[in-house]
Amino acid sequence: MKRLLVVTLIAGYSTLALADVKVGVIVGATGPGASLGIPYKNTFGILPKTLGGEKVEYIVLDDGTDPTNAVTNAKKLVLEDKVDLIIGSTSVPTALAVVDVANETKTPQISISPLPGSNGKSPWAFSVPQSMAIMMKANLDHMKLNGVKTVAFIGFADALGDQIFNGFAPQAEAAGIKIVVAERYARTDTSVVGQVLKVLAAKPDAVLLGGSGTPGALPHITLIERGYKGPIYQNHAVVNKDFLRVGGKSVEGAIVPTGPVIVADQLPDSNPTKKVSLQYIKAYEGMFGPGSSNAFSAYSYDAYLLADRAVAIALKKSKPGTPEFREAIRDALESTKELVGTHGVYSMTRTDHTGVDSRAVVLVRIENAGWKLIK
Amino acid sequence: MDLQITLLLGQDGITNGAIYALLSLALVLVFTVTRVIFIPQGEFVAYGALTLASFQAGKTPGTLWLLAGAGILVALIDLKIALAAGARQRIARILLWNLGYPAAITVLIFLGKPEGWPLAAQVLLSLALVVPLGPMVYRLAFQPAAEASVLVLLIISVAVHLALVGLGLLFFGAEGSRTPSFSDAALQLGSITVSGQTLWVLGSSLLLIAALYQFFGRTIYGKALRATAINRTGARLMGISTVMAGKLSFLLAAAIGAFSGILIAPITTIYYDTGFLIGLKGFVAAIIGGLASYPVAAAGALLVGLLEAYSSFWASAFKEVIVFTLIIPVLLWRSLTTHHVEEEE
Amino acid sequence: MMAVSQRGALFAFLALLGAGPLLLPEFYVTLLNYIGLYAIVALGLVLLTGVGGLTSFGQAAFVGLGAYTTAYLTTASDLPAWLALVGGSPWLALALGLAGTAAVALLLGALTLRLSGHYLPLGTIAWGISLYFLFGNLEFIGGHTGITGIPALQLAGVEVKSGRAFYYLIWIALLALVWATHNLLDSRAGRAIRALKGGSLMAEAMGVDTARLKIEIFLIAALFACVSGWLYAHLQRFVNPTPFGLGVGIEYLFMAVIGGAASVWGALLGAGVITVLKQWLQDLLPKLLGSSGNFETIVFGVIMVLMLQRARDGLWPLLARLVPVKSGEGQRQAPQGEALPRRQMPAAGTLLLEVNGATKRFGGLVACNDMQLTVKAGEVLALIGPNGAGKSTMFNLISGVAPLTAGEIVFLGSRIDGLTARAIAQRGMSRSFQHVRLLPTMSVLENAAIGAHMRGSKGVVPAALHLERVEEGRLLAEAARQIERVGLEKQMFEQAGSLALGQQRILEIARALCADPCLLLLDEPAAGLRYLEKQALADLLRRLRAEGMGILLVEHDMDFVMGLADRVVVMEFGQRIAEGLPEEVQRDPAVLEAYLGGVE
Repeated sequence: MKRLLVVTLIAGYSTLALADVKVGVIVGATGPGASLGIPYKNTFGILPKTLGGEKVEYIVLDDGTDPTNAVTNAKKLVLEDKVDLIIGSTSVPTALAVVDVANETKTPQISISPLPGSNGKSPWAFSVPQSMAIMMKANLDHMKLNGVKTVAFIGFADALGDQIFNGFAPQAEAAGIKIVVAERYARTDTSVVGQVLKVLAAKPDAVLLGGSGTPGALPHITLIERGYKGPIYQNHAVVNKDFLRVGGKSVEGAIVPTGPVIVADQLPDSNPTKKVSLQYIKAYEGMFGPGSSNAFSAYSYDAYLLADRAVAIALKKSKPGTPEFREAIRDALESTKELVGTHGVYSMTRTDHTGVDSRAVVLVRIENAGWKLIK
Repeated sequence: MDLQITLLLGQDGITNGAIYALLSLALVLVFTVTRVIFIPQGEFVAYGALTLASFQAGKTPGTLWLLAGAGILVALIDLKIALAAGARQRIARILLWNLGYPAAITVLIFLGKPEGWPLAAQVLLSLALVVPLGPMVYRLAFQPAAEASVLVLLIISVAVHLALVGLGLLFFGAEGSRTPSFSDAALQLGSITVSGQTLWVLGSSLLLIAALYQFFGRTIYGKALRATAINRTGARLMGISTVMAGKLSFLLAAAIGAFSGILIAPITTIYYDTGFLIGLKGFVAAIIGGLASYPVAAAGALLVGLLEAYSSFWASAFKEVIVFTLIIPVLLWRSLTTHHVEEEE
Repeated sequence: MMAVSQRGALFAFLALLGAGPLLLPEFYVTLLNYIGLYAIVALGLVLLTGVGGLTSFGQAAFVGLGAYTTAYLTTASDLPAWLALVGGSPWLALALGLAGTAAVALLLGALTLRLSGHYLPLGTIAWGISLYFLFGNLEFIGGHTGITGIPALQLAGVEVKSGRAFYYLIWIALLALVWATHNLLDSRAGRAIRALKGGSLMAEAMGVDTARLKIEIFLIAALFACVSGWLYAHLQRFVNPTPFGLGVGIEYLFMAVIGGAASVWGALLGAGVITVLKQWLQDLLPKLLGSSGNFETIVFGVIMVLMLQRARDGLWPLLARLVPVKSGEGQRQAPQGEALPRRQMPAAGTLLLEVNGATKRFGGLVACNDMQLTVKAGEVLALIGPNGAGKSTMFNLISGVAPLTAGEIVFLGSRIDGLTARAIAQRGMSRSFQHVRLLPTMSVLENAAIGAHMRGSKGVVPAALHLERVEEGRLLAEAARQIERVGLEKQMFEQAGSLALGQQRILEIARALCADPCLLLLDEPAAGLRYLEKQALADLLRRLRAEGMGILLVEHDMDFVMGLADRVVVMEFGQRIAEGLPEEVQRDPAVLEAYLGGVE
């Protein structure tokens, strides 16, 4: 009898059959990753109504930053909505969980969170964001230049914290920079005094922080409160205006690697990404207010740009809703050459499914509550 | 770890412990009076702090709409009951508190421009906005199931928590906020500087605990709550309304929660979902106090705060593992020392 | 709707389940897979929390143990030598996972199940959180990011990879566990588990080892969770710590309570309703409210509150009422079975119980002071006295509920003070309670059968597999015989809670008799009885006495006592003030003073 109920409830779903291109989007707009997931999601509200010249329908689902939900969502998108492409998800564990589904169902996936090895070992998965290693290399180069010999790390006790640390540690070791302490804190912790005192006791030349958004400001503020005077390096996950609002004076002077989109107006006109970035910023801030543009929604925008090109090519070969179309999208994505996005210039190959190079990284310094390009 | 670090960590632990202590008092109060394990306590912490932050940023906090919405719902339900019972004399009162009060607050916010008010006035307005949500939550979620088992009440509590966290995300967004310090003064104690806000936290906590003590010992409402806590049926026979006691305990809990949030918002960043973990640690302290003893709960809160501070220094990645694993022996000890035979009664 | 038989409803359900994957679109099969996985965990909680009364928030951590064990063993390339043998095989990993979970559960159970009241749920929160952060902080299992590339299951050479194939695996596992749990609850061990919820006092007095039983159900619930985790890892092929945190642990409890924690089917219903509701809200709300906010958790929370306000016992009882199911006919006949072996009764006149100088102090209060009394086989000794004289305390001292402060108690020639209530019960002493301690939702027959607990030996495992039917039949037959003996045969299949208070007291006596005692302790058995019922009770006690039973009786009803007792002991303020034949005691000035005087 219970089953009857389930069947009746399930039957409540309606699936509309349209011949348009369908894109499934999975974001972590609630749960611990919400502060990143929401801007990622917002972008899909500003995109044109067409993709590759064809009408497009975006189906946006929230996974609550939980891999189980991400898989359920991915299956729903593929099996029920019959999407041609999945964009998402927004954290490494959820994106990885989607990789399996996409691979099994032969659906192309553009992850908007970094994937290990650029494609999470699946020929169907691509990723937009710069790898942690590229980002951390920019920090490291700056450290080397400024004679930093010892670094202390304070990062999230979650997947993001792990990645930032693992993106930094091997390169630092190779460059002869010693990590003297590595401390962790939880996103919602109210105090990091213990971690900061431990860092101060180790007297490092510089501190690297591995948090995101406003919670990323907590160790920063505490370090300054406790009288730390040395350089503080942040990571690209803190780049939004709320971080500056909460961090206030404490975060002035911090050095942050990020994509060029964040300082688009400061870039020379010769930089290819400038034009695209300004377009994105105009569209996004038009919808969500001045200063609202950020690194995360720009990743979503780049995913759109990649998809736009790939779908246009695929439409010449096949019709949406077919396996051939999905394969054509995958092939087209793999053949991306010098596609200019907001975060960088993408050139994919069979082995490189991210396709960005050092042009995708800039170092900025926080000055007067703004991001200032370090030339 | 030298002396200075020891002292600094101690200070940090005591500050956090003071907040846990306040929350644990509220949890003990709500549980003893209503048998509800009040998981949403933490949401009031977040609501209090974020409502204040909204005022300071010149925004209208979403909690205002929650107050208005909850007020309308309560008014509808209570009016229906009052009319069915033919108790027309209650109508004015119902309308006043559930519709009039939120309307007055709304007018005050829209005409008063709280952005430019002094901090103390902003704090009062935030409390005036958030605290009435406590009794309204009791009225809507718990009162209809007041006689259910502790387990069912607990699960309702969890459901209310989910709804309130979701509303928090909707109202305030995923990013956190801080508010300016109550005072920039600092106290120099040997080699340690104690910030003004830390003193505020400690002082207010002590003051609130003393006030609660007076309230329970001296006032008629306080005594009524104590009577209900000791024996619900007996209290009802003595003419103490369990509904009144329930609402009053939720009012106090909401006030303590919101005020705690406002107290710590200058020291730390508050997010829409900050409350759960803070509340959970308050809950740990409350349980150490056996959900019955206020002083032991407060001592437990300090213990949790200190444990947290020192373990975040020694092994920050394992902080929660350490705090929660060390809680188990304390629980065992409490459980064994408070052992009592189920007497036939 | 036409009434259907229980069996018919079950078959219809199974047929639907079996046909499901063939008819349903793939995505619904996916949903049903998750429902199955959740239901396995919730089923453990039905047993642990709904039936046993032990609330746990930590089940998700056990799911994680199962999932991580197999994820690690089947993917790691550099296993330590002692583990290398099991590496790569999901089935060996399952065995190892179960063993590991059992070990962890035993340790945690030994620590936290001692916690009384609200300490227990908090204890489970504590280790739930600890294990979650441990998963995230151990490098070798991938830290917070987790483990990818878990291989698919091989079953008889076939790869269980598709959702449909997995569906059968999950649901067969779930139904097998439902069957086993159902069997377990309908058995000697199951009755003892259900008795836990009413407090351990009665259960221990009936010879149930409550501490051990709690560990057992905790272990079962943990193993169920481990199985679910193992299935999850191979279905998902990816694990990270998120699904094993406190939030998910709370959700499992949610499912059990929403579904109806008192019934095995409640677990399935709860898992189903919550999973489907979430999907449904995710589809519906953006259409209603736009996709700018996230309303799912808000609406979900509100719906849950409303649901619990209207259905406190969960949805299963509502659903069961909606579909009128005829219960099986066979149940209505008194169970038959070979009689159980009986204790050798001491000859009439043998000294059964001797209390010497028994003293009990609660702090400064002396509840019992230097009490003496003896009971012989084949006699009724009445213990009387005004309210608060210490009679019930005396009862608790004799039956081992409370320890003596001083003095000694000898039963059948050996000292029993210091023994547990259970050990004393095993020696042939059985009791009733002044405040009736029956399980109101269980039938009269089952309540009485709890008394026969010590006369059976089959534990949880044979019960779950229904390998104890012969013994079970004999236990129930014994219970039926005792119910007939006390005259409750007409009510045998009614719920104990529906009986009149007087009848409930009689049922307590039947339960005590099921233990085949040689000494019966009855605490105010005649209270609440009508005249004819009292007569019948007196007749029963006389017959028992004639059979050689010793009876110690606390009673207020003087007519009843004086007509029945062989000897009377009178207590006041914890002291013995008189002893003798009924008529002697009635004339004793001290007794008259105690009962009539002292009132200014």
